[in-house]
Amino acid sequence: MTEMMVRRLPADFGSSATPEARAEAERLTGDWLAVDDGAKPQSFWVETFKRFLENKVGVGAACFIVLLALAAIIAPWVAPHDPLVGVATDRLMSPFESSSHILGTDEQGRDLLSRLIYGGRLTLIAAFVPTIAATVIGTVIGVTAAMMGGLVQTVLMRSMDMLYAFPAVLLAIAVGASLGPGLANALIAVTIVSVPPVSRVAESATRRVVTKEFVDAAKLSGASPVKVATSQIVPNVLNDIIVYASGLVGVAMLIAASLSFLGLGSLPPAPEWGFMLNSMRNSISIAMFNVMLPGLMIFLTSVCFNLASDALREATDSRL
Amino acid sequence: MTRLTLRRLAYSIPILIGVSIVCFLLMNVLPGNAAAGLISDQMTAEEKYAAEEGLGLHDPLPVRYWDWLTKVVQGDMGYSAQRHRDVSELLGQAWANTFILAIVSAVIGVAIGILLGYQAGIRRGRLADKLVSTFSLAGLSIPSFFLGVVLLSIFASKLRMFPAGGWPGLEEGLGSAIQSLVLPVATGSLVTVGITARVMRAAIVDVMAADFVETLRAKGLSEFEVRKHVMRNAISPVLTTSGVQLGYLLGGSVVVETIFRWPGMGTLTYNAISSRDLPVIQGTMLIIALAFVLINLVVDIVQAAIDPRVRGTLV
Repeated sequence: MTEMMVRRLPADFGSSATPEARAEAERLTGDWLAVDDGAKPQSFWVETFKRFLENKVGVGAACFIVLLALAAIIAPWVAPHDPLVGVATDRLMSPFESSSHILGTDEQGRDLLSRLIYGGRLTLIAAFVPTIAATVIGTVIGVTAAMMGGLVQTVLMRSMDMLYAFPAVLLAIAVGASLGPGLANALIAVTIVSVPPVSRVAESATRRVVTKEFVDAAKLSGASPVKVATSQIVPNVLNDIIVYASGLVGVAMLIAASLSFLGLGSLPPAPEWGFMLNSMRNSISIAMFNVMLPGLMIFLTSVCFNLASDALREATDSRL
Repeated sequence: MTRLTLRRLAYSIPILIGVSIVCFLLMNVLPGNAAAGLISDQMTAEEKYAAEEGLGLHDPLPVRYWDWLTKVVQGDMGYSAQRHRDVSELLGQAWANTFILAIVSAVIGVAIGILLGYQAGIRRGRLADKLVSTFSLAGLSIPSFFLGVVLLSIFASKLRMFPAGGWPGLEEGLGSAIQSLVLPVATGSLVTVGITARVMRAAIVDVMAADFVETLRAKGLSEFEVRKHVMRNAISPVLTTSGVQLGYLLGGSVVVETIFRWPGMGTLTYNAISSRDLPVIQGTMLIIALAFVLINLVVDIVQAAIDPRVRGTLV
């Protein structure tokens, strides 16, 4: 094996290389990296993060989400009352009416502030878990389809098209209805709805990458298809997918809230915001502010998810 | 053009088959299956077996799918054990109401969205643009059930300007029909306005940056004429989303109809969810998915007809 060849290979996947050749390749790489030519390695995400910080609206939105997450994590210590136990005589108290219930109480006399803080847990779970699960599944499907091509691609992408033929909310409702109510089932329903769009993005990104020379080089040096996918393709398509998936977080949250509004989410008495709005909505003429609070929280959180995702997309756009 | 239409038509056949498979599998393979309502816990094992046999539950899945599909094609969508009526009968009374609401919402939402997006696009970076962007972000982010509850409490309970829900039908005269349409349409169409305005703004900004706009101005065309050209070139992506919007409105009807007690498929579905009346949910899904596929088909063909650039990309 000549020195030139060792230099050119992106990584040595072949089993035929001798230990000496490997050591030589490593030494050459080390020599090459040791030369300080003033060029600093640039990480895509570090650069993106720097640009993201310049966007004040995006940072504000991200701060809101971080605060919400913090409150959700330390809920047992910050919530003034038990979110599940109410006092029957304290029903639908207005905000600031009593010093112990700053935001008032709900129709069963439970402290609204505590319920909102604990509800943040469920909302954040419903926003992130399905999106992350769908990103993983969608990436696997999309990358597999585009790499294999032919029949595999047709079958995989056409089955995604079938799921695409349903409006997202309706599909989630149908899956939720046939699985039955419950947080886990709602998460599954939202995941199923989010997989097709992710897999489409993954597939088209992979098709762009798969024809590049470095993929051929990896194949020629003996890498298995799985190795090519994990070491060459995924690192090159993941950025696109993550940016796209960030836009799905808010959508997933809204669909999950709709499911729980319809009684398909967490079971009562869990303080899920969508369900809180539904169970209180008959009292809206007596206690308008109390009823609107959970809805306002959903609205605010969803606005912040959308703003943060817009800012992230702008930050990754190298044309700007 | 004819060949293109035929090919696009042929392409929707596998999609339709896929839709029917998804509908069938969702309601038959998952734990709580469609027959659960017809088999009670008090039955002995033999009675249960006989009842399941009568429903054909012991046949292999493909056989059951084929039986189900042949019935659906003939208009038999199963029987709602909870409501003691045929599903096709229930849906037959409800589907028109749902479509009226969805179409009115889509038309109004898309029209306002185009208007706002256009104004924002040609005034890029100015106050109008920022206002429209904020508004469309709010429209995208607001959960429709929250908006519906708020609108109901303000305009129906407090101000008594509009009825608190229900739908008198078109027979009661146009006036009362429009009155009961206002709040549900406002609730449903806000998302559509938001999405359409965003897409329209982006398209206008893109087209305004194109070289041909410069050429038109250099040629001495009036600003009005230039904008007509810009509009023609920017409308295509909006058309694509507006088809999808109508589908989303149909799907979102479950939430909106529930709040406004609208006698459509959405309310039927909501009631079916609480009683786990799966045949009704399956019927709603089938009809809405069928409509969604047809809408996308029509949108694609119309788009190819008005925009030659799209013709090459179409399947």
